[in-house]
Amino acid sequence: MPVTVKTFASTSEVAAALSSDRSARYLGGGTLVMRALNEGDISIATIVRAADTTLTRIDASSSRVVIGAGVTFARILAERDLAFLHAPARSIGGPAVRNMGTVGGNLFAPVPYGDFTVALLALDAVVSVHGGLGVRDIAIEEFLQSRERHGGTLVLSVSCARPASADAFRYRKIARIKPKGGSIITLAAHLPSGGGRINGARIALGSMAPVPIRAKAAERALDGRSLDGTAISAAAAAVTEGISPADNALASGWYRREIAGVHLRRLLSGQE
Amino acid sequence: MLELRKDIFADERDDNLKEIGKGTQRQDMLGHVTGTSTYFDDHKLQGMLHLKVLRSAHPHARLRRIDTSEADRAPGVRRIIRGSDVPRNLNTLLSLINFGKDDEPTLAVDKVRYKGEPIVAVVADSPLEAFEAIAKIRVDYEPLPAVFDVEEALKPGAPVVNETYPKNTFTYHERYDHQKLRFGDVERGFAESDHVLEQRYQMSPIEHAPTETNGSIAAPDTNGRYVVYTSTQALFFSLDTCAKILDVPSNTFHFIGGTVGGGFGGKVDTLTEPLAILGAMLTGRPVRYVLGREEEMQYGPPRGAERIFIKDGVKRDGRIVARKITAYFDSGAYTRLSSYAVVKCAAHLPGPYTIPNVYGDIYCVFTNRTPATAMRGFGVTGMDFAIECQMDKLAHLVGIDPMEFRIINAYRDGDMKAHRREAKNTALIECVQVAADKAKWPLREEFKRMSSRKEGGGARAEIPPTPREPVASRPAPAQQRTSYDRGIAMPASEQRPVAPPPPPAPPSPPAAPSHGATRFSSVFGTRRR
Repeated sequence: MPVTVKTFASTSEVAAALSSDRSARYLGGGTLVMRALNEGDISIATIVRAADTTLTRIDASSSRVVIGAGVTFARILAERDLAFLHAPARSIGGPAVRNMGTVGGNLFAPVPYGDFTVALLALDAVVSVHGGLGVRDIAIEEFLQSRERHGGTLVLSVSCARPASADAFRYRKIARIKPKGGSIITLAAHLPSGGGRINGARIALGSMAPVPIRAKAAERALDGRSLDGTAISAAAAAVTEGISPADNALASGWYRREIAGVHLRRLLSGQE
Repeated sequence: MLELRKDIFADERDDNLKEIGKGTQRQDMLGHVTGTSTYFDDHKLQGMLHLKVLRSAHPHARLRRIDTSEADRAPGVRRIIRGSDVPRNLNTLLSLINFGKDDEPTLAVDKVRYKGEPIVAVVADSPLEAFEAIAKIRVDYEPLPAVFDVEEALKPGAPVVNETYPKNTFTYHERYDHQKLRFGDVERGFAESDHVLEQRYQMSPIEHAPTETNGSIAAPDTNGRYVVYTSTQALFFSLDTCAKILDVPSNTFHFIGGTVGGGFGGKVDTLTEPLAILGAMLTGRPVRYVLGREEEMQYGPPRGAERIFIKDGVKRDGRIVARKITAYFDSGAYTRLSSYAVVKCAAHLPGPYTIPNVYGDIYCVFTNRTPATAMRGFGVTGMDFAIECQMDKLAHLVGIDPMEFRIINAYRDGDMKAHRREAKNTALIECVQVAADKAKWPLREEFKRMSSRKEGGGARAEIPPTPREPVASRPAPAQQRTSYDRGIAMPASEQRPVAPPPPPAPPSPPAAPSHGATRFSSVFGTRRR
């Protein structure tokens, strides 16, 4: 059967089309869906698109930043108010992929992709989803844990609080090929602090599990402490606790476990 | 010097070239940067059908039953092609020059020997319909024990990968399971050495990763002929291969190639043309068969993996007096071109050095991995990597500068090479001198004055007495160092490869096949020396 392309004016119509047809897939920038089609993925019979401009809106004027699901990485890089997200946006693909790839699509990108989502997870982002029962907000961690079930819904936007300072949010993607390689491990850390002590640390890891995950033991090692050598060592030692990364063509799970602490230490201590 | 018969090839080469230092436009560059170069896939023909293949899910399995009945009825399907539809469903690429036995089917029949081996081809109106029909094909596999390691494959009782070669090794000269090089007496050389160093090197397969994946379009022409637009980098080689597999005269085909979107050796295997043409023959329509990116990466042939053991004996003054090499080339499940890589390797040993005692055993081994093929200097590049790593370690061992160590051992004009050809036009010494100069690497004055054209030949041109029978190892003198202290010391007994007993040496072992060597040149663009 040929693939059908349906374009709707409103997001609610898109959400209805997605929830009623299991073989329908939403097309954002096409960097994942068109690749799947070209490689012979026969599970996609319908492609759904939206002409709704709300999906491409950015609201970066206040302390809470809202980014439409259809915003591309190139647009984030062009937005001065989103400087804290430039490092993760720049780490994705090459110029062609950044021109087409979207924030919403990145939430569904399988390993070794999905680096922007790692940054969003460390920032405690909230995902706004239009499902069969209307619009609702889901914490990104919960969203990722049940990602498979969100295939029939439409992501409208993501939002997060702006980090208090440039130093409070850090991001690093480790790849063998630069600048376009797939991730061996991606790290993002949000380190809010008050009175010289970290309060509510968030450390997110990509390519260490089927979806981006938090390194909660490492977070606990930092909370309530100042970011000194002892705390960094404790976090680096604990980073893989409870995490068992898989092997893939880029690296073995063993290698990922070995290097996770090394790169977290470098990230936290500000080393190149 | 290479002589060009100007009386015959008057226009072949301009002898007054002055190109170095000038910006010269590549002849195909304008088309590439303006997007006007025509590739095989730029032909959209009227009524063109699309072919996709079902690939094996197992690295080694018997095919109990293939059920295509549901796929036959799937929408858009024009034809399903099975192994029995292929006129000559067994081929080896180099059979065109009488080298090797036919060992590879176009579509697997009784069993599959690597993960991703084509089993059934579907010709449909669109690529998507072909994929949908493939999902409806049911294959009943009986998984068999698989072997992925070259040394494991040589052990007694290892699974037989390819019944054409039941010992899991390519057969040379209809008798021998490896290529053998003997020059002098390495055992005597080791006994006379101040240090002996044995090391193991392992190369991984390397994918060519062309921008344009392998593919072709075949279309019926008048007079029962077929036009084939193809990505091949070996046009007439592919044409003759198709003529053999499809059992028709080669003038049945008009192959059109020319612009290859990245080849590097990965487009000589004629992966897509036979099935595209067969699809056109069976449907009377143009048929396009293009590998997807994942197919190209996963199942397109790579440069083969190699496992290499090098044992060297060296004197305190830096002279290497013996080099013994045992290498296992991983051909994957079928021969393709690895048999030839082994021959090239044997002719290349012991690298660009004059060593009086050389011993080489090189095996082309079959495993349940993706078949390997040509890639830029295959058979030589990996071996050179190992040899040059070894040279650095040896230089460290004897405490000599690694650049000077290479000059000490470099071959020179007039020297006898291990495969019994006189060395000509040698230039390693000059290369090292220039490299050292560019890198501002200090060479002592006497090494700067050395030349490849001096002090070669004479005693170095003689073929040393070479024992026929294997000589028993002699006890090493007590002062010898046998492990390399910068690396992990491995006990020789553990890393010694388990190899079948070598067959008796042939009366005069040829290092390269004498037949058809000129056609090799036309196929691979290599020049006979």
